[in-house]
Amino acid sequence: MAFDQTMLDEAAAWAVKTSDSAFADWDGFTRWLEGDPDRAAAYDHVMAAADDGAALAGVRTVPPMPAATEAPVAKHAANHAAIDFARSEKRRLVVGALAACLTVFAALWVWSVQSADLVYRTQAGETRRIALGDGSAVVLAGASELAIDRADERSARLERGRALFEIRHDDSDPFRLAVGTAMLVDAGTVFDVNIRAAEVAVAVSEGAVVYNPARQDARIDPGQELVFDRGSAAYRMAAVPRDQVGEWQAGRLTFRDAPLADVAADIARASGIAYRVAADSGTQRISGSIALDRLRENPAALGPLLGLEVTRRDDGWMLAAP
Amino acid sequence: MTDKVEDGLQAVFLANRGAVLRFLRARGAGSDAEDVLQDVWLRIAQSRPGPVAAPMAYLYRVANTVMIDRYRSVRQAQLRERDWVEAGSGPEPGVSDSPSVERVVGARQSARQVEATLAAQPPRAAAIFRRHKVDGLTQRAVAREFDVSLSTVESDLRLVYRALADLKERIDEA
Repeated sequence: MAFDQTMLDEAAAWAVKTSDSAFADWDGFTRWLEGDPDRAAAYDHVMAAADDGAALAGVRTVPPMPAATEAPVAKHAANHAAIDFARSEKRRLVVGALAACLTVFAALWVWSVQSADLVYRTQAGETRRIALGDGSAVVLAGASELAIDRADERSARLERGRALFEIRHDDSDPFRLAVGTAMLVDAGTVFDVNIRAAEVAVAVSEGAVVYNPARQDARIDPGQELVFDRGSAAYRMAAVPRDQVGEWQAGRLTFRDAPLADVAADIARASGIAYRVAADSGTQRISGSIALDRLRENPAALGPLLGLEVTRRDDGWMLAAP
Repeated sequence: MTDKVEDGLQAVFLANRGAVLRFLRARGAGSDAEDVLQDVWLRIAQSRPGPVAAPMAYLYRVANTVMIDRYRSVRQAQLRERDWVEAGSGPEPGVSDSPSVERVVGARQSARQVEATLAAQPPRAAAIFRRHKVDGLTQRAVAREFDVSLSTVESDLRLVYRALADLKERIDEA
């Protein structure tokens, strides 16, 4: 849908104002919205563009720029004799700004072409420990992919799968993890991130993590798990025993009332055994704790452990609720 | 302890039900406004915000966030196969919950397009956008950090929001 340009300009102005937590003129905003029924959609469009743009750009932080350079121009402009100088000075500043702009642009362009990310991938059943320069470490679960910014190891993106983060905290340079359009910022931390079909679960065992500081700004403390919807970004919190956070690393998985589809995906990822779920059983709720070693010896052992029917198929193992 | 806070908020919520409903209708909730209002209250009750300095502004802010999230889920359903936002690949039990290769590539392309869009903005505007939207600083704090006025921060942000809106429109229509 094409938007009216003036309406988009106005929508951008309101989006900027309402982005700030100090915004108070909700009556004025309501009146603007009521002026034209299309304005709500224009506002939603700009707001989503800004949020997604921030999430996609979120992996890097630019240090603050020096203060603007307009002051000398204004000073000279006050003096008639200096007007020409001021003009040329102004031109020089504009050219300078343009050049700086192009330099930044060129740098980023080269950056994207050369791909500044170090990408780590694992096969199902594999785990891999990635040591970061600052003493932090990431344990990547099976069938997972993590991209770390080559230029800034405090920025990473979990593309798929699951990982346990043991982050050395630095207040002045917090570790940021992008997951889809969501942003997780550590506050001194051991935390586990698990990307599922429709949701992402973030569990914390030490320190704390902040979910989307610029939007929901939800703090996850030790012993808590935040689960957010990959589409709407809406979230819920639950308690999780701290010793169960990242226990997959030690070859164990525990589920509490989890849908069978998620259980099967988690076990398949960690064990490398191709478990599938019968079409009508995916939403079946499962509780239990599994040692992966025993499954590798006998994949069918999952049946009695979780009260499921396990059938051998050509391409793996089919799980069904009895 | 939170009971008192919630009682206070609930009183404000009930007293201003009409105003928030009017906002939700203007915000595009239409005939669902009553349902959305209920979501707003549920979200407030769940998040247990603690003492709130400006309860009315807080109610409106939560209502606005609920509408933003609604917009996102509707879009997500529409664009299930599109690249702007990396989408959930839907339940494919036991096999893989990973996005398709095309989608991962698409999300990376979007990330590059966003970088290019930001790089094409005046450097201060792009830097201010990052400090506010990525790092989560308030606009006032950003103004202090860059030693500019609040209205300069706003106009810089408007510029970047507008450019990202154009980019999103191009990607959505592609």
